[in-house]
Amino acid sequence: MFRKTMMTLAAVALGAGTASAHVSIQVKEAPVGSTYKVVLQVPHGCEGKPTNVLRVQIPEGVIAVKPQPKAGWTLEKVRGAYAKSYDYYGTPTNEGVKEVVWSGGSLADDEYDEFAFRVYLTKDLKAGETLYFPAVQECSEGLAERWIEIPAAGQSADDLELPAPGVKLLEATGGH
Amino acid sequence: MKNSVRGDHAFMALLAGIVWLCLTSIAMAHASLTSAEPADGAVVQVAPQRFSLSFSEPVSPLALKLVRPDGQTLALDTFVLRDRTLEIEPPEGLSPGTYVLSWRVVSEDGHPVAGSAVFSIGAPSGAAPAVTEADDWPVRVALWIGRVGLYAGLFFGIGGVFASFWLLRGSDRGGACFAVVIVVGLAGTILSAGLQGLDALGVPLSGLFDSIAWRAGLGTSFGRTVIVMTAALLLAALATLPRLKPWGHWLACVALLAGAGALALSGHASAAAPQWLTRPSVFLHAATIAIWIGALLPLAKAVRDGGTGAEEALRRFSLFIPYAVAVLVVAGLVLAVIQVEHPAALVETAYGNVLLVKAGLLLVLFALVAVNRWLLTKPALAGETTAVRRLLRAIVVETVLVLAIFAVAATWRFTPPPRALAIAAAQPASFHIHTDKAMADVTISPGRTGPVTVSAIVMTTDFGALDAKNVSFVFSNPAAGVEPIRRKAFKPGDGTWQVDGLVLPLPGTWTVRLDVLISDYELARLQGEIAIRP
Repeated sequence: MFRKTMMTLAAVALGAGTASAHVSIQVKEAPVGSTYKVVLQVPHGCEGKPTNVLRVQIPEGVIAVKPQPKAGWTLEKVRGAYAKSYDYYGTPTNEGVKEVVWSGGSLADDEYDEFAFRVYLTKDLKAGETLYFPAVQECSEGLAERWIEIPAAGQSADDLELPAPGVKLLEATGGH
Repeated sequence: MKNSVRGDHAFMALLAGIVWLCLTSIAMAHASLTSAEPADGAVVQVAPQRFSLSFSEPVSPLALKLVRPDGQTLALDTFVLRDRTLEIEPPEGLSPGTYVLSWRVVSEDGHPVAGSAVFSIGAPSGAAPAVTEADDWPVRVALWIGRVGLYAGLFFGIGGVFASFWLLRGSDRGGACFAVVIVVGLAGTILSAGLQGLDALGVPLSGLFDSIAWRAGLGTSFGRTVIVMTAALLLAALATLPRLKPWGHWLACVALLAGAGALALSGHASAAAPQWLTRPSVFLHAATIAIWIGALLPLAKAVRDGGTGAEEALRRFSLFIPYAVAVLVVAGLVLAVIQVEHPAALVETAYGNVLLVKAGLLLVLFALVAVNRWLLTKPALAGETTAVRRLLRAIVVETVLVLAIFAVAATWRFTPPPRALAIAAAQPASFHIHTDKAMADVTISPGRTGPVTVSAIVMTTDFGALDAKNVSFVFSNPAAGVEPIRRKAFKPGDGTWQVDGLVLPLPGTWTVRLDVLISDYELARLQGEIAIRP
């Protein structure tokens, strides 16, 4: 019994651990057709060096991006055209923020911080799939950590060395 | 009983749930190596007293291995953890050479991380270029005999027929003798084709009765030599037929050209670059040897028989042969310089040793020729019997010497020249990787163990230019227990990505992965396998 318990614990610990080992998103599930706050957790620098820049790419189908400013960091919103027009509470939207960049800060390797932005997950996104927000950590001495790998069909994020942070999409909650 | 089991399951599910919730709420980090001692790529003068690996997070080791220069893997069991540094006691008595310190650790997030540090004690081990030859002695001896036979056929047979027509004015000197050497030459030449096939396939002598060996032999470049040489020998035989005597001059001439050309069609020397120089040199070398050596037998016969024919022949021989010998020597020197490359190779390689022995025999031969030419020819022409006898004896000795030289030269069949050894050792290994995101042509030069340069051309899937932001190479050898060795590539400016000074410690199949950063957010991982020679 004791042995079995320990093994169960170990298996769970391993499974849960790998999911949060890298730059990741705090709330891992969200319904489509809703406003969602993406919180990126940065657990370490690059090879021991402090993080100076965090960039995150906004995937297609994610609109109305509003980043949360951070003291000590310069915020930049890179705008661009979407691949198609999305419906935002009745308003057709065909361009917006496609990349968010926090720069000019310094987050030491032995410190932890969070970077947040609010988005609207359009109903064009498919429930059941995982939506990825590729993120790049740029550090001093030209080092970088790129959390940009998206699992191919049949692959899991655990197979990847540099998995992009992702959020599992749920069915839209019925009406308002 | 049943209830208790269900209770266990429920308890465990609850426990698992609580643990999972706790763990996911803690932001954890994976460990990365921050420093290694000896450092990756380091060359140290003496065996290190300790190894150490420092990580960005506390870790516990799963497997620590040291791969020795001979490919043996040692498990490293004695280690101490000090904060984030793993101190490992190295095994005793590490000999000079290249080692791989492979580590696999688990950090607090439970994610195993692995890597390797390659270091060398003294100097990187660059294994000596190994050119493996099948040591099938019966086949080798047979090949050697075949080669001597071929030389005898060409130089005594075809050369003799040529000399009898052009130097001795068609007087029938040594008809039966020619028949014998031509038959010997034909046997040697034709047999060589099958033996070449046996050697190429690595089959013992008994396989000679199998047509596969013959097809394989004729399929090599030596096959062309066999066919042309056989034709040349047959032409020479035709030239000796009394009925074809009016055509004899020309048949002999064509036979000589074809015979010399046959040698230029294959072999170490003909294969060397620059071809415009080596092939004509082989041809001239062979043709002039045939003219000179071929004249010895008919000349001996003429001198023995005496008369005006002999006088005439000896005079012509003395007049023309020095030119032939001059061409022979120059062509031979050209080939020797190309093949040996460095004077030191004369002593250090088997090929060089054969060349030295051959040159030594040649010097003796030339000394003898000089004595004949300046001391014996004139009295012999004047008809002095003692001089004639001595000249005859000298020609017999010359012939024996020439045979010895053939025998020595025939061993070259088994000794790749220093040039070829250097080329074989420097031969790069290359391969192509194709994925749906990108393609790469990767070259590792030289393609063997020791220090190498890795270079890659990265392309889009439709062979277009791919301007990657950066490229890293990751080498691993799972079979030998070598965990990934990572190296960032630089751009030398010719459109490639390169890594210098990587030491591949072991031969065998290596897994090579290219991490190509196509854009800020797009990474392509291209993986392939390549065989590295010892």
